[in-house]
Amino acid sequence: MKYINIFILSFLLFVGILLKDSIHVSTNLLSLFATKESVTKLDIANNLGYSKEMIIAVKGFDHEAKKRVKKIAEALKKLHGVEQVEFSLVPTPALQEYYKNYYPLLAHFDHKPLTKQEVEKKLQSLYDAQLTNVFYTSINKNDPLGLFVLPQQTGNDVAHRGSMLTLGKYGYLIRVMTTIAPSQMNDARKLYDDVEALLSHYHDVIAFAPFFYTVENSAKIKADVQWIVLLSTVVLLLIYFIFLKNIKLLTQTLIALASSMIFASLICTITMENFNVLSLAFGMSLTAVSIDYLLHYYFHNFYTTSQKIDKNVFYGFLTTIIAFSILSFIPIALIAQISIFAVLSLSFAYGVFTFVFPKLSFPQYEVVEKNELITRKPLPAFSIFIVSLFLLAYSAYNFKLDVNMRHLDYQNKHLRGIEKLIKEQTTLKMSAVIVEAKSEEALISHLKELTCKLPKTFSLASFVLDKKTCQNRLSLLHHYDFKHLNQLVQTQAQAIGFKKGYFQESYMFTQNLPTCKLPNLDIFRAFSLAFFHKNGIYYTMAFVPNVVEAKTFDFVSDIDVKAMFNRSVATMYKNLELFGSFVVLVVLGLLFVSVKTKVLYALNYILFPVSLTMAVLVSMGSVNIMHLFSLIILVAIGIDYGIYMSNSEKPANTMLAIKYSLLSTFAAFGVLIFSTIVALNSIGIVITLGCGAIFILIKVMR
Amino acid sequence: MIKVLFVLCLLLSSVTGQSFHFSELRYSDAINHYTQLNGTIDFQKDSLEISYKHPAVDFFYDGEDIVYTKDGKEMPLDATQKAHMMQYFDILKMLHVGDESELKSEFTMSHSHGFTLLKPTGTLRYYIEKIELTKENNLLEYVKLYLKNNDYITINIDNEIH
Repeated sequence: MKYINIFILSFLLFVGILLKDSIHVSTNLLSLFATKESVTKLDIANNLGYSKEMIIAVKGFDHEAKKRVKKIAEALKKLHGVEQVEFSLVPTPALQEYYKNYYPLLAHFDHKPLTKQEVEKKLQSLYDAQLTNVFYTSINKNDPLGLFVLPQQTGNDVAHRGSMLTLGKYGYLIRVMTTIAPSQMNDARKLYDDVEALLSHYHDVIAFAPFFYTVENSAKIKADVQWIVLLSTVVLLLIYFIFLKNIKLLTQTLIALASSMIFASLICTITMENFNVLSLAFGMSLTAVSIDYLLHYYFHNFYTTSQKIDKNVFYGFLTTIIAFSILSFIPIALIAQISIFAVLSLSFAYGVFTFVFPKLSFPQYEVVEKNELITRKPLPAFSIFIVSLFLLAYSAYNFKLDVNMRHLDYQNKHLRGIEKLIKEQTTLKMSAVIVEAKSEEALISHLKELTCKLPKTFSLASFVLDKKTCQNRLSLLHHYDFKHLNQLVQTQAQAIGFKKGYFQESYMFTQNLPTCKLPNLDIFRAFSLAFFHKNGIYYTMAFVPNVVEAKTFDFVSDIDVKAMFNRSVATMYKNLELFGSFVVLVVLGLLFVSVKTKVLYALNYILFPVSLTMAVLVSMGSVNIMHLFSLIILVAIGIDYGIYMSNSEKPANTMLAIKYSLLSTFAAFGVLIFSTIVALNSIGIVITLGCGAIFILIKVMR
Repeated sequence: MIKVLFVLCLLLSSVTGQSFHFSELRYSDAINHYTQLNGTIDFQKDSLEISYKHPAVDFFYDGEDIVYTKDGKEMPLDATQKAHMMQYFDILKMLHVGDESELKSEFTMSHSHGFTLLKPTGTLRYYIEKIELTKENNLLEYVKLYLKNNDYITINIDNEIH
């Protein structure tokens, strides 16, 4: 029986290997925070190329800078993941072909019939220009009278010097359309490395793409987590080796914790479709809370007696499990997933520590009862309760929520600096919106409506005519006598002195007009105007000067990631408030059942750490969602300690168990205080403060 | 010593810029007419200036804008004209600098009968048929632009102005 713990771990590992193909772990962090609707919308935006653009700017406007732009652009075109590279206003060959074919319909046509005198006058002026103009003037053989004029495009008045695109006053600009969305980690890293390698040969060049954050931040987070894991391991080893001096206990505990984590991981990743890697990491850390049970058992010699169940540990476990079970119904993916994981892993760990560990033959722990310690404690539970209420009132008065999810990420100053520079230098302030319709025709009509309301809008409607307009123009051209005009031009031109037959083809392009069929809309991708079709709905993007006004149309929706997150976070806080209150009520009820008259004493183990931590947090600044979530962990720990301390028959042993347990908790979560990532640091701060508060309680409360 | 000074002068002139006398011959196929113009062309590091004698007009291009002066007075240019001229001046600068990698990004290059023949590969091919050029001591000597509409422009750069 002494190998049963190892057998359980081996069995779980074997099951894991067997079912490895059924294990699904999602790395899409967005799905944890944003609503389903927002995720769908961002998915559509990704398909439309949103967030896939890379900006490269070469400092200066001299000839050398121009040369560098061309060299970099050529090299970029060869990189995997690069779809299109633009550095000048010159349209792509596909777009030129489109203009060539659709020119008669796209151009405004002056349909007023011309008299012989008017034609003669225009041609004479053209003739004179050939003789007198000091700069070379080419003649448009197809439209010598200039009757067709392409309208000026609105909304796309990008900054440029000559034909070269520029980034404000910084230098020349290269716009790169990539196939990489910020969530595609491997491809993002590959392209990031390739771009870095390419640009390392050039000085004074900056590059930015949204996926750069994914690559740089994940590398930073990985390094940070590795350091935290190392620190955590060192602290745990210190506790067991130096203080407890029990290597067997350490080994068996680590095996039990590993089994609990694997058990919960297997169930969660096999049965749940989108179980997230972040939930997995948090859930694994939460498993360490179960060390409470082990230490309580160990210091109360549970393993050397014939006792089947320790009532205090059982109540502590039950209260924690019920609290997390309630939280598993919260409509916030991250918290729900972590709670489910916690219920599974803590239950498994409780089972192993309660029913398997007694069979492992641990030696008795000798401890001398020092009950005088308890009687010497200065503060009664009531006064701690009052202090906690004051601290809570202070926290409520100064409470300020930080709803910006970006504040939780690693604060990448380097990339933010570049992003800020690009934003400051960009003169064109337009916002992207998604426009949807049930057909391509309807989509273009919607875009036209949008342009009528907001004339500066830049969209497919800047290039493509809606069916009605197209048919009107077609009808106008069909009814105009271009053959007569051609004859008139030829006769008059020859009379003035133009070469015979030079204008033979004038206006003949109108005899072969295109139909009003929509062109291949993919050719406008160069302008970030992609087109996408899914489940019978057609989507495109439009760039508008005013999102609020654009959103008055029901076919327009915004894709402001920041706004989406803020909306999600506001809902998250509401849900957290609702479920949190419910958990508190249930915990209070369970405390009353398990500790009866000492309910105030036990309650202080939740109230005091929470109120003290909150008071410190609000004094330091605003409170974020990770702070709030960590407070839930603190409540889970506090419940156990409150019950243990209230019902303890050997308070000195219980205090010792709690001290070691606090050290273990600090090793698991508290070390996160050393992390440079705000999300992790927030958890570390709360757990460290909470552990400190509990330590104060066990020392001073009687 | 004289050689050293000569090399230094050459280096200095390439840094500060070079001015040349030139003659330009334009053929307009529409009216079957030749126009002859003379003037000076000044290639600076980041700009280009062309001054014609008769009529007395001047074009100054700094890579961003063109300033057109007639008889000492600044004159307006419409956007289309400006865009065409910028493209033309960019080509002239490119041919003058003669950076092979830059030329190859826009043209295919070949040599025949003592000329360098450039055929546009990019969007220029919609307007330009081909370009013939010769260089003497690495300096542009002769350029002939054949345009798609059968017009052509010939530029003979005569001598450097010191």
